[in-house]
Formats: sequence, C-alpha cells, structure tokens
Amino acid sequence: MMDIQIRNLTQRFGSKTVFRDLSLTLEDGGLYGLTAPSGRGKTTLLRILMGLQKPDGGSVQPAGIRWSAVFQTDRLLPGRSAVEQLLFVRGSRRDRDNACAFLSGLLLENSLHQPVEQLSGGMQRRVAIARALWAESDCVLMDEPFTGLDEATLRQTAQFILTNRQGRTLLLSTHQKELLADYPFRWLSLPEE
Amino acid sequence: MKPAKSTKTLRRGLLVTLFWLGIWQAASMLVAKPVLFASPLDTLKALLELIPTGDYWRSVLGSLGRISLGFLLGLLLGLLLGVASFRFRLLRTLLSPLLTLMKTVPVASFIILILVWFGSAWLAVIVALLIVLPQIYFSALSGLESTDRALLEFAKVFRVPGGRTAWGIYRPALMPYLTGSCASALGMSWKAGIAAEVIGTPLRSIGEQMYLSKVYMATAELFAWTMTVILLSTVLEKLLLRLLRSLGT
Repeated sequence: MMDIQIRNLTQRFGSKTVFRDLSLTLEDGGLYGLTAPSGRGKTTLLRILMGLQKPDGGSVQPAGIRWSAVFQTDRLLPGRSAVEQLLFVRGSRRDRDNACAFLSGLLLENSLHQPVEQLSGGMQRRVAIARALWAESDCVLMDEPFTGLDEATLRQTAQFILTNRQGRTLLLSTHQKELLADYPFRWLSLPEE
Repeated sequence: MKPAKSTKTLRRGLLVTLFWLGIWQAASMLVAKPVLFASPLDTLKALLELIPTGDYWRSVLGSLGRISLGFLLGLLLGLLLGVASFRFRLLRTLLSPLLTLMKTVPVASFIILILVWFGSAWLAVIVALLIVLPQIYFSALSGLESTDRALLEFAKVFRVPGGRTAWGIYRPALMPYLTGSCASALGMSWKAGIAAEVIGTPLRSIGEQMYLSKVYMATAELFAWTMTVILLSTVLEKLLLRLLRSLGT
C-alpha cells in the first residue's frame, strides 16, 4: 500500500463550510488519532475517505483503497451473533473457530453466539471494532470507537486494536484523547472554519 | 397447576368453533329447508359420501394443481419484477400503471376476458396468477425499500459480495412484507380461482362440482365442496407461512 494523500478537500453543507482545502497525508501503516470539537467534520471526513460522500472539492489518492470501518453507530446485522457478524465480512462457516478465538480477545466466551441485540451497548461496540479489524482491508477507520466503554474496557479495547491492526494504516476519531495518551498515536486535528 | 398456554389456546379455539357450529345449526333449523341451507350434519354427511369417490379426488387435485400453479407463477413473477423494479427505476415507472390496473380491475372482468381469449382450461391458473402478481410485486418493493440504508453502506464499505448482501441484508428486510402478503394472496387466489372455475366449469375442478351442485340443488354437497376449499386453503396457508418463516430467519 502507498501513503494516503488527502488533497485540498472542501466540504460545505448549505452556507456552512465544514472544512476548506484540507490536506493530510496518512503514511502507510501509520497510527493516527483525529480529534476536534463536535461539528468540525470528523465523521464527514471519514465518510468521504470511505467513498460514502462526495466532497465539494479535492481528492483522496490512491483510488481503490480497501477500507474497513467502525461507524458512528454499530451497524450490526440484527438477529445475528457476534461470530456471524465477523463471518459476514470475511470467511465462511469453516472460519468459525478462528472468528471465535479472535473475538474472545474482547468478549466473554458465552456472549459470542447470542444475537447481538442481547448484548450490552458496550459489547456491541466491541463487536463492531472486532469486525473492522477482522475484515480484509488496507486501512481501518474508526469513528468514536470507544463510545459507551468504561476506562478499563477502553484500555483493553485500545490494546486489542493495536495488537490486531496488523500493520494497516489506522485512523481513529475520538473525544477521549487524554485516555489514549499512553499509545503511540500521531494526532491530527481539523481547523476551525 | 395452570394449563399450558397451547392447551388453553386449543381449548379456546374449540369453543369458538363449537359456538359457530351452533349458530350454523340454529340458522339451518330456522330456515328449515335443507335445499336452501344445509345443516352442519348434512354437510358432514355429504362430505363423507364424496370423499371415497374418484370424482372428489380428481376435482380436488385438478383445482389444487391449477390454483397452486397460478399462485406459484404469480409469486415468482411478482418477486422477480419487484426486485427488477427496485433495481431499475425506469422499469418501475413503466410497470406502475399496469400493475395498479391489475390490482384494481374486478376479478369478474378478468375471468370473462380470459374465457374469451384462452377458454376454460387455463382460466384458474391465469386468474390466480393475476391476483397474486400485483400483491407480491408491491410488497416486494415495499420490503426492499425498507432495507436499512446504514447496513447497505456498511456492506459497501466492506465490499461484501452482492449475493451475501442480498441474503444477509435485503432478505431479512423483505421477508416480513412477503410473508404477510403471501398469506393474503394465497387466500385470494383460492377465492378467485374457484369463482373462475364456477364460471368456466373446466373438467375435473371443484368449481365444476360446485356448479353441478347448484344445478341439481344439492346444497349439502355445495357446502361440502366449500368446506373442502376452506380446508385446502387453510392447510396450504399454514404450510406456506411455515416455509417462509424458516426462510426469514
């Protein structure tokens, strides 16, 4: 994979400019934290990177990057277990044991096969995080992945993310920068318009 | 100990059935003319006389085959056109007036037109198809449109293959709509199919037997054939719902 070049990105919503001529470089395999007050465009930037939103100007290079992501909401398949959430994005029934082993780094064994609706909000969030890391991708994006997690779980989850990103570029937006001070994130911020 | 819920439901169902059988018996006693209004006992007697005959089974199988074929073709076509219209907006715009027309044109008009164009042999098949198709088409469209956009975005970002997205995201959104409309479409296809058979009187059909019952004023037999239709339609509906629910999970 090459570095990801974000060049002169501009996004407006009506008369409001969210960001203008934003340029960033994400080095291949880099670990990035994105922090900015609410409304500054963190989610919008991630959606543009994933190709879910077309910017008003600028570009993201190279094309064809394989993304995996944790969205602002969990977006888990209703009625399916945590293991099935993973197998939906990669693998088949044969990979079930591997998926179980992977998830057991974040969740208790007895919660892996329950429909996700029966898990707590924090557990569902961790399933979404595990799914993003389990998927085959070049770059992992995470939009406020630690929402709803207490401090101890946040640290355990952060460690899980670092262990399992397997050299992929990772960009994570968060309001909880101070709780991640011990981790080797390079911090980016979005300027006020 | 309290009776189990299923026993309670069964008991309640039995009581309701007995209540309506009582009303039926009372009404037949009030009319007091078996040639106009057969009693439950007369109907049961007529049914027990019909069941061992070859004609009964040939007629049942004939109608069952024709109406089921029409229903299945309507289901398949409705589903295919619904999916295609969801995918291609132009096709949807093109089909919209035709399917709305199919939904609103009286069944009797269809029956007469089909009789004129194709004769009676395929009448029940085509009528059942025309009744089922628009119902399934519109419910398939509604189901697909109710699919969670957030989940579709997730599948797009993760490059989940189309087949897996269809099975894992579209199917669960579609099935509740399809299950509901299938049940009502099946009932409607039997009603319309039998009505078509009574008018067209194709050989080896329940409709033909009902028509003959009317001609010979054999009201108990007419009631027995009606009971047969109700029984067939109910059993098929339950089987279909069970199948669709297993596909929906």
